[in-house]
Amino acid sequence: MFNIRLVIRILGFLLLLEGFFIFLCIPVSLIYREGVHIELGTCGLINTLAGGIMMLMTWKADRNLQSRDGFIVVSTGWLLISLFGALPFVLTGSIPSYTNAFFETVSGFTTTGATILDNIEALPKSVLFWRSLIQWLGGMGIIVMSLAIFPLLGIGGIQLFDAESPGPTVDKLHPRIKETARRLWLIYIIYTVAEIILLVAGRMDLFDSVNHTFATMATGGFSTRQLSVGYWDSPYIHYVITLFMFLAGVNFTLSYFAFHLDFKKVFQNNEFRLYFGIIAVCSIISMLVLHRTQDFSWEESFRHGTFQVVSIMTTTGFVTTDYGLWVPLLQFILVLLMFIGGSAGSTSGAIKVVRIFLFVKNGFLELRRMIHPSALIPVRMNKNVIAPEIISNVVGFIAFYLLAALIGVIAITAMGYDINSSLGAVATTLGNVGPGTGAFGPAASFNHAPALGKWIFSFLMLIGRLELFTVLILLSPGFWRK
Amino acid sequence: MRIIIGGAGDVGSHLARLLTEENHDIVLVDIVEDKLRKIGSVHDLMTIQGSVTSVSLLNDANVKKADLYIAVTGSEEVNITSGILAKKLGAKKTIIRIDNPDYLLLSCKEIFSSVGIDYMIYPEMLAANEIVGLLHQAGMTEIVEFSGGKLSMYVIRLSENAPVINKTLIEATEISKAVDFRAVAISRNTETIIPRGQDRFMANDHVYIVTNQTSVSDILRYSGIEQFDIKNIMILGGSRIAKKTAKQLGRQHNVKLIEINREKAYQLSNYLEHTLVIHGDGSSVDLLVQEGLPTMDAFVAVTGNSETNVISCMLAKQLGVKKTIAEVENVDYIKLAESMGIDAIINKKLIAANRIFRFTMSSEMSSIRRLIGTDAEVMEFVVKPGSKITAGPLKDMGFPKEAIIGGVIRGKSSFIASGNTIIKSDDRVVVFALPTAVTKMCKFFN
Repeated sequence: MFNIRLVIRILGFLLLLEGFFIFLCIPVSLIYREGVHIELGTCGLINTLAGGIMMLMTWKADRNLQSRDGFIVVSTGWLLISLFGALPFVLTGSIPSYTNAFFETVSGFTTTGATILDNIEALPKSVLFWRSLIQWLGGMGIIVMSLAIFPLLGIGGIQLFDAESPGPTVDKLHPRIKETARRLWLIYIIYTVAEIILLVAGRMDLFDSVNHTFATMATGGFSTRQLSVGYWDSPYIHYVITLFMFLAGVNFTLSYFAFHLDFKKVFQNNEFRLYFGIIAVCSIISMLVLHRTQDFSWEESFRHGTFQVVSIMTTTGFVTTDYGLWVPLLQFILVLLMFIGGSAGSTSGAIKVVRIFLFVKNGFLELRRMIHPSALIPVRMNKNVIAPEIISNVVGFIAFYLLAALIGVIAITAMGYDINSSLGAVATTLGNVGPGTGAFGPAASFNHAPALGKWIFSFLMLIGRLELFTVLILLSPGFWRK
Repeated sequence: MRIIIGGAGDVGSHLARLLTEENHDIVLVDIVEDKLRKIGSVHDLMTIQGSVTSVSLLNDANVKKADLYIAVTGSEEVNITSGILAKKLGAKKTIIRIDNPDYLLLSCKEIFSSVGIDYMIYPEMLAANEIVGLLHQAGMTEIVEFSGGKLSMYVIRLSENAPVINKTLIEATEISKAVDFRAVAISRNTETIIPRGQDRFMANDHVYIVTNQTSVSDILRYSGIEQFDIKNIMILGGSRIAKKTAKQLGRQHNVKLIEINREKAYQLSNYLEHTLVIHGDGSSVDLLVQEGLPTMDAFVAVTGNSETNVISCMLAKQLGVKKTIAEVENVDYIKLAESMGIDAIINKKLIAANRIFRFTMSSEMSSIRRLIGTDAEVMEFVVKPGSKITAGPLKDMGFPKEAIIGGVIRGKSSFIASGNTIIKSDDRVVVFALPTAVTKMCKFFN
């Protein structure tokens, strides 16, 4: 019933690809004379060998991929690359505990940015580079990437694309999924190059620029500095990163239209308007409250407030100041934003603005439906009527999301953490943000969580990145029933 | 090629599927979201929901850059309008589906091409032609002609008393030395195989044979099929296909047509002067027997209902009708219907899609056809100078196992290919290929 051979073949290719990217870290080790190139080479070799063997074993796989296989490929694929991607941390001795290394890798690939490191600067630069690189790969999706370069899939590509980049609306930029994947990656790369140039121009050194750019575009949030972006006391750098976090949180399809000077499509997009609106309102509130409660000038209030709102809303998770010291109101707004997340079709995580839009709009229309029981009142978005099935999918998603968060909070409080810390930590991992609140706030790390807690957080990050259904469907008995 | 298909009905979605598999970039447009979702979630194509006569939608579908625009919605008027719009908005070529045979007249064609419609297809007419062709070749299930009949491919069902049954291909050639033919494929149960020398023929196999026209009657003899003339024909259902078929069969045959709707039957009787139109329910056995079904040479069931067509054909077969043809519109039923002993299956969708398919072929491929009841394709290539295939005898070429060269047309003559044949440039070559081999094989002709 399942096309196991093809599944293994694709997984093999993912490992091969991962091996290639580990090899990319070797030059970094050589340049900075860190002496870990042998260890990195070993990791790369393990990956390529494992991947190569898997591909050779399944040379004659049938090329037909059903949507069920798609779910298996994406879920196990992400698990597998995380399991193997943890090797460089362990073998170089940077993160000796495998649990910690796995947490860090999952946090990387899922573009969360939550870390167990308490002294980031102590790590070799090549390992930090790997840590940022996996965020960059996970941002646009490593499977979308393989679709763009891997010619194997004739028919199943669409299933994989849908399973890795789920969302209520599908925007294809080209009839072929492969071409769509290529265009998305191209935009991603253009933004990446642009940000590196702008950061270097702002006197950030090249290594930090590259790493921060990777983490920004993926809305990841891994920094090479313990103080995150707050290490640089430069308004220019803060504004540049704010801008690119904002862009990374916008649907990449809209960026594509913008590149083609079709701005009408961008500004008339309901999701974009709501995304911008939420950021604007929350930034202004933050600015006003910060100016009153903290010792900030107007410019500082605006800069730090906006940076933090954009960083959390796009689920990046960079910080310029410790927001754990801010008044409860602002902290709560940030936790709310962790649940909302960026736009669908962007690299951000969490529920996504488009779902919030449909959910809230449908709720309000429900009132009108009660006043006019016989009236047909459809939900509209971008002037199109949205099918009831999509609405029910959105409602189901949000219900599952909140349920997952609830169970997560129960599990974490059971380990002895207070409600504030637990809620923040679960919201931040499930939404792929990064820093949480309280004991898991930006000034602390996730290192003090017990091992079981770290595995739970890793699981939350994975299901959050793959938008619940792709993973949870594998756990439902109906999926495996003949 | 970048192709926009308007209308995700039977023809549209079938075509979209075919063309996607052939690596074309497909945009499929339909007004009904559900149809699009069904095909869009499985196949690698873009779907847009909306009306095909909307200019803004056509622009969204990037009609400017389209190499081909195909309008195959259920409505002729919509197709015409949208074809004109697409052409004026920049589509290189337009094909539309029509319902009015008059439009195919030369004078009408000029009118249409002047407003931007390049080709028109009329699936019912194509189906009727197919049926008439099959009735003229009594023993065949399907016929494909190449280069105006210099070479043909026949699909024949082996009867149980055929001389070649249980013989290997090599033994079969021994028996039938005098005949120039090549069995390029055997379809058995649900499987299609490319036979090699040691494979055996079995009863009820569908055998795909490439041959020169001259040896047809011998081949039928070896297949255990007696050739007979068809004179008395009964057509069930007064559909447009039935109307066209009856008109073409005309005076030379005795045609009886049964239609359930009185009004429709009356109109048909006005239109078809040489046909006896009977008003009655075709699913009633009594009526069919009373109208002389057992004495018929051929029975053609073309009602709108595939199940009725299949069942009534089986009934006819049981009553001793030699040739039965059923219209089966549900593609999944085709193999099933064939295995039930119906002699030939007609499928409007496949026929129309095949016809349109030809417009998308590369230049070296001059004709292509998807066969009914199998995934395989038979193609005719024009061999270009310097292509890989001309390098030596066929057996040394490493030609893919899932494909086979059936015959060669050189100038005015044609012959059957063997391992020692050397292909020359400007030859026309007939190739039978399973879907897995198509791309591999095409390389030999570039």
